[in-house]
Parts: sequence; C-alpha cells; structure tokens
Amino acid sequence: MQNRRLFDRIESIKFKGITKKYGPVYAVKDLDLEVRGGELLILIGPSGSGKTTALRMMNRMIDQDTGSVTINGLDTRDVDPVRLRRNMGYVIQNIGLFPHMTIGENIGLVPKLEGWDKKKIHQRVSNLLDFVSLPPDIFMKRYPRQLSGGQQQRVGLARAMATDPPLFLMDEPFGALDPILRKQLQKEFLKIKNEINRTIIFVTHDIEEALVLGDRIAIMDQGQLVQVGPPEELIFNPASELVSDIVDNQRKYKHMDTLKVKDLMSAYEDKYALDGKTEVCDAVEEMTKRDLETAFVFDGHELLGQVTMVDLMKCRVKAQKLADLARPMKTFQPLDSVAFALSEMKKSGEYIAIVMDPNKPAGILVSDEVLLKLI
Amino acid sequence: MVGLEIILEATWEHIILVYTTLSISIAISIPLAFASLYSRKLEFVVMKFANLVQAVPSFAVVAIMVPLLGIGFTPAVVAIMLRALLPIVKNTFIGLKNVDPSIIDYAQGMGMSQWQINTYIRLPNAYPAMFAGIKFAGILANSIAVLTAFIGSGGLGEIIFQGLIGYNTSTLLAGAIPAILLAIMIDRSFSALEKKVTPGYRKI
Repeated sequence: MQNRRLFDRIESIKFKGITKKYGPVYAVKDLDLEVRGGELLILIGPSGSGKTTALRMMNRMIDQDTGSVTINGLDTRDVDPVRLRRNMGYVIQNIGLFPHMTIGENIGLVPKLEGWDKKKIHQRVSNLLDFVSLPPDIFMKRYPRQLSGGQQQRVGLARAMATDPPLFLMDEPFGALDPILRKQLQKEFLKIKNEINRTIIFVTHDIEEALVLGDRIAIMDQGQLVQVGPPEELIFNPASELVSDIVDNQRKYKHMDTLKVKDLMSAYEDKYALDGKTEVCDAVEEMTKRDLETAFVFDGHELLGQVTMVDLMKCRVKAQKLADLARPMKTFQPLDSVAFALSEMKKSGEYIAIVMDPNKPAGILVSDEVLLKLI
Repeated sequence: MVGLEIILEATWEHIILVYTTLSISIAISIPLAFASLYSRKLEFVVMKFANLVQAVPSFAVVAIMVPLLGIGFTPAVVAIMLRALLPIVKNTFIGLKNVDPSIIDYAQGMGMSQWQINTYIRLPNAYPAMFAGIKFAGILANSIAVLTAFIGSGGLGEIIFQGLIGYNTSTLLAGAIPAILLAIMIDRSFSALEKKVTPGYRKI
C-alpha cells in the first residue's frame, strides 16, 4: 500500500468549535486553536483537561462530536484514518514498542507497510538509529525488552521519524522517565527538533518541559482552552489564576534559563539618543529637558557609549564633545539569555545595558528592573 | 501377541485421526477467537460453551455421537473436535485479548489497519497462549482417540481394548506404549512449530 503524501509541509492546523462529550461530561468544549506550521505547540493542563483528547482528534483516534479539524485546509474527516495517520509521526508515553519485533523491525514497520524495498528500509533504520545515538550494529537486532527505558524512548522517536512525516504528535513522550533522564532526553530532543524542523504537537503535564521545549504553549482546563501563547507571555501576562498557578509565576526565577533578553528589556525610545558632536552644555540642557539620567551617544548609527548626568556635571570643559566623554557600555543581542546578561553586567558593575538588533538599538536592559520583573 | 504390522497400522490410523482433528480445530478456532474479539455476545457464548464441554466426561461425548452420526471415522473426528476445539479457542482468545493495550493503541496511531494489527501484532503476541492451548488440545485429542475405537474409528484404542478384554498384558502394552509415545510426539511437534513461527522465541 504505497500512499501519496497528504501534505509535504504543514501550513496550519485549525481546530474549529471542537466539542467532545463522554456522557454528560465534556472532554473538550468549544475548542478553537490554530497550530502554525513549523512550530512546537505544547498542550498542557491538569489531568482531565482534554489535552490528550485534543491531540488524539488530530489523527482521528478520537472523533469529535461537533466542529472540525483541518490540516492545510483539508478536513480530517474527509480522509481515511489509516492514511491520515501514516502522515504523522506518533510518540506515546508507554512508547508501545512491539515486543515481538527487533528494534530494526519496529522502526522499519511503517516503511514496510508503505511498500519500501528491504535495502532502503535497512538504510533508513541505520540512519535513524545513528540519529538518536544508538549504534545500529549493536541495537538493530535487539528486542525492546533488552533496552533501558531511555533507549526505548529513543527508538520510539526514531520509529516516529521513519517515513519523515511533516507532523509529529507526541503524548507525554518523556512522562514515564525518571527526572534526570527526562532532562537529558529533552535536551537531545531539542536538538533533534531544530534539525528536523517539523510541526510538533506535544502533550505534557510538566511545565518545565513545556517552557524549555515549546514555541507556544496552550493551557487547557476542563476541556477548554484557557490561554495560548509563547512561554514568556504566559509567565508575564497570565490570563487567569490557573495559568499563573501552572506556570508558577510566583517563582519566575525558576525559569531564568529559558528567558531571553528580549523578554525582560525595557522599550527603547529615541529620546535616549544624543549625537556625539553635541557639546556638554547643550547635552545637560537637552537631558534635563528630556528627563534623562543616562543617555546613549551615537555617531550616526554607531554606538559610542553612554554618558550620565553626573559625568556631565563633573566635566569642567563645557565645550567638550560627548564623543570624547562617552564611556563604553555593555551591549547584548535580543536572544541572549537573561542569566548571561545579568552576570555580565554584574561583573563590570554596570546596571544598565543596551540591546542591539543587530546594529539598531532595540531596548534597554536595567538590572534592577529585570530583577523586579523576576520576583 | 500382536503383529508389528498391525501395531504400525493402528498407530498410523491414530496419527491421522489426531492430526486431522487438530488441523480442523485450529482452522476453526483461530477465526472464532478473532471474531470473539469483536463481539461480546460471541465471546460470552464461546466461553460458556468451552467451560461446559470441559465438564462433560470425554466418554459421554464419544457415546453421544452414535445416535447422532453413527459410527466410523467422521463421528470420531467430530467427538474429538468437540473437546479439542475449545481449549484452542479459549487460549487463543485470551492471548489475543491480553496484548498490552498501549501496543494496540500505538499500532492504530501509527496507521495500521485492523487487518494489519491482527496479523502483525495481535497474532504473534498471542502465540505463547495459543500454542499452550494447541498442545493441551493435542494431548486431549490423543487420549480421546483411544476411546473413539469404540465407535469404529480404528487406531491404537482397538489394540488396547483387545488387551483389556482378553487380560493380555502384552497386547495392552502394544497399544498403550505407542499411544504414550504419540502424546509426547504431539507436544514436541507443536513446540517445534511454535519455536519456528515465534520471532525471537526465547527473548520475549
């Protein structure tokens, strides 16, 4: 059964008015959600929130009562479920490796069902085992029971990638692993994710995992979507108490390593800039007028450094140009980590830094303000 | 004293009887076990019937064939089948049913059809239980095949009964010893088949 691909790339997946009831209980209620092509979207929420139900509607393991799921505009109900699923990589918490098949047979099963020839399957399986850091000559002929939990889950990932599908559905793939192993696999998965650059829907109940892996996070509760957005939005602008409980923003510092400079910088305004050719006298007057304590000195587009009101007041030669007085200052990129930036600033004893993107000022990082936001 | 030729002939008849019955039983049982997976009603009926027939003495099952089907090879096959069918159905069904649900869930999620799930996943995972049932049924069939000599099936039972009636120990043993050896052979032959069809036999 050799199937033509339903889609080579995911442009978008749209849930529209999805409802699913089990008896009187809503598993999912009026769900509207769009998954963007190429992103890793996390579905998170307490148990019974409908996150897994939502995931399983994508491959029609569960059919909704009302509403529609469309992938690139194609209604999933118009496609044979078996064919639909062949276009998606599937990874589940229990891994579900087939105990009576070798690792090689497990990974090569879908290609075999798709009618690939033996040589091509063998080649593909070898490559995938290499990709998930399991030497093929050792692992190909082993049975799942002979592997550790972490190795099994790597095989699970490799198997989902067998036919290089454009979409991955992952249902708590690291949920059954111990915490340290989970962290390691998350790190590796992040690498894999960046390499394969596919659309991934990822269900988890672990907010740390969500913040580390997710491009966007959708928080669900009692079958309803509560908020969806990038990690920093959920941390700094939680839509409800539940969201702040889940992202645990009472202790935001926990998420320091996931935060970027751009998440915590203050907006840059033109009023902070002074020209290098300005004389000190005029600069004092100008800064007073603009209510500035610190100004950034530019020569055209080139950043020369900073001057403070105190520096200028101490200056005896009023005719001196700012270009000569400007002290060098720290500059960061928007995607630098906040932790890195703060430690750099602490080292040089500065409390203010400018964020350049890449040659244009994009924001200002003030250490005290950053800390305030984190508390 | 019974001639060697007669013993060999009786043994051959016995083997034919046992393996014919087993083959038909297996051919009926496996589809029936799969069907029971999809119908709770059928599952209920099959399981009830299995337990009931198990409780009826074998000799009664053989005897009841005479008014229904008369005597000869066919009634003997039917009588043995009644007893042999059900251990196979029951064990196969349990084997198919008890496959780890997360495996079946995954198989569906990765895009396998029902037919593929049944042939690639369920059946191989049910082999241990299924073959246990077949071996049990084989030994059962072998012993009932001795009894069916009474209704004209031929086989080793004839020699054994001759020995019993005539108080002739050597005649009795000439029938009984091949029957015992056959029981062992049946068990071994299906173990060998199991080993052959089960992938990674010792590893799972």
